[in-house]
Amino acid sequence: MSAIISVNDLHFSYPDGKQALKGVTFNVNEGECVAVIGPNGSGKSTLLLHLNGILPDTPSIPPSCTVLDLPVSQGNLPQIRRSVGLLFQDPDDQLFCPTVYDDVAFGPQQFGLPEETVRKRVTSALERVDLAGFDERSPHHLSGGEKRRVCLAGVLACEPSVLVLDEPTSDLDPRGKRELTSLLAGLPATKIIATHDLELVVRLCPRTILLDNGRIVADGPTLPLLSDEPLMLRHGLEKPHILLHSHPHG
Amino acid sequence: MRHDFLDRYSRLQSPIHRLPAGLKLISALLLVLATVMMPQGSLWFYILATLGLLVLAAMSTIPPRFVLGRLLMLEPVVLGFSIFSIFRSDGWPIFLTLMTKGTLSILTMIILANTTPFAKILELLRSARVPGLLVTVLALLYRYLFLLIDEGERMHRARQSRTFVAKNSQRYRTIATVVSQLFVRSTERADRIYAAMRARGWQ
Repeated sequence: MSAIISVNDLHFSYPDGKQALKGVTFNVNEGECVAVIGPNGSGKSTLLLHLNGILPDTPSIPPSCTVLDLPVSQGNLPQIRRSVGLLFQDPDDQLFCPTVYDDVAFGPQQFGLPEETVRKRVTSALERVDLAGFDERSPHHLSGGEKRRVCLAGVLACEPSVLVLDEPTSDLDPRGKRELTSLLAGLPATKIIATHDLELVVRLCPRTILLDNGRIVADGPTLPLLSDEPLMLRHGLEKPHILLHSHPHG
Repeated sequence: MRHDFLDRYSRLQSPIHRLPAGLKLISALLLVLATVMMPQGSLWFYILATLGLLVLAAMSTIPPRFVLGRLLMLEPVVLGFSIFSIFRSDGWPIFLTLMTKGTLSILTMIILANTTPFAKILELLRSARVPGLLVTVLALLYRYLFLLIDEGERMHRARQSRTFVAKNSQRYRTIATVVSQLFVRSTERADRIYAAMRARGWQ
């Protein structure tokens, strides 16, 4: 197995001076599913935005991140953004087109694919998220769960080899969470998921990275890490219920 | 929250809704152009256009109350533009002509907007070689207008639920705060939307 994403001593400060990342280093291998957990403001979203070069505004030299053996530099951005699909935290930020079809088609159209291929990709992406036939709907008339799945379809239509998801289950009802979790479990891509939903982590991710105050505090197999109650409490988290007792939904 | 005050009825099924969007867009634009260019006193044209629009509105099955409501909502704008002509020596005919022209144009646009989904109009503009950036901006405007109104309403409610004594001066200050916050939030959202667009290959 080879590292598909490698981050080496990544530092980042926002223009207002807030140091969001203070030397983050890790590798992700092909096919892995890694959870990034940590309290609010620990730098999870900032870290994710680095993985396809949205941040920093001008790529650092030398680049701290390498994706698919390509350093994240200005020249490699088109290739990298094609291979890394990023799902944003707020669906309304991601759904900017007047219809569902336009939105899911946005990525493939940017790659300059022929219209016929785009149409096929949109149809199959919408089918995969169980929203076949939603093509002509307006995003602002969809429910929260539907919006989230349209976002995911928009990312899947780009056929990325890495999926980077920021809080994919926030604001979803329990059924929505379960459905999205099993949807994600069925996707073969390498996944990096930033989330507070620790049940999702237990179900989906064999490996977890714990981030606090811009630094990696722990990085290892999920079950022992989440079961370490003192560690979890120290960093504003807690041992999830799913590890305390059995769960009716299995 | 759902807002559809712009084009609530644009997805009805009626003979008018089923007409090709291009035909509707072009005839609407031509009609507005003709209305605006028509010399003062061409009574026959105004009567004909009004009757035609009323027939179209009736065929489109858009509730007449809705059309009337929209018209009344926009009429102050027309009035604002026309009112000054009264002060001229022979102002009344000019005033009436301006009011008629304005009202007819607005009526045309209300019928167009409520019989043709906005996405279709955008598609047409794009295929008519209107600059892509302009179409994108229009699309984003249509998409985020609703969100902006929602956000403003939520902030206003949250603010109201912590307002115990309603003094007028305070109320204006609250509205000013909400508006300025809204501005700040939309710039931040614009950044995030731009990031989301770049993440899927926009350059």
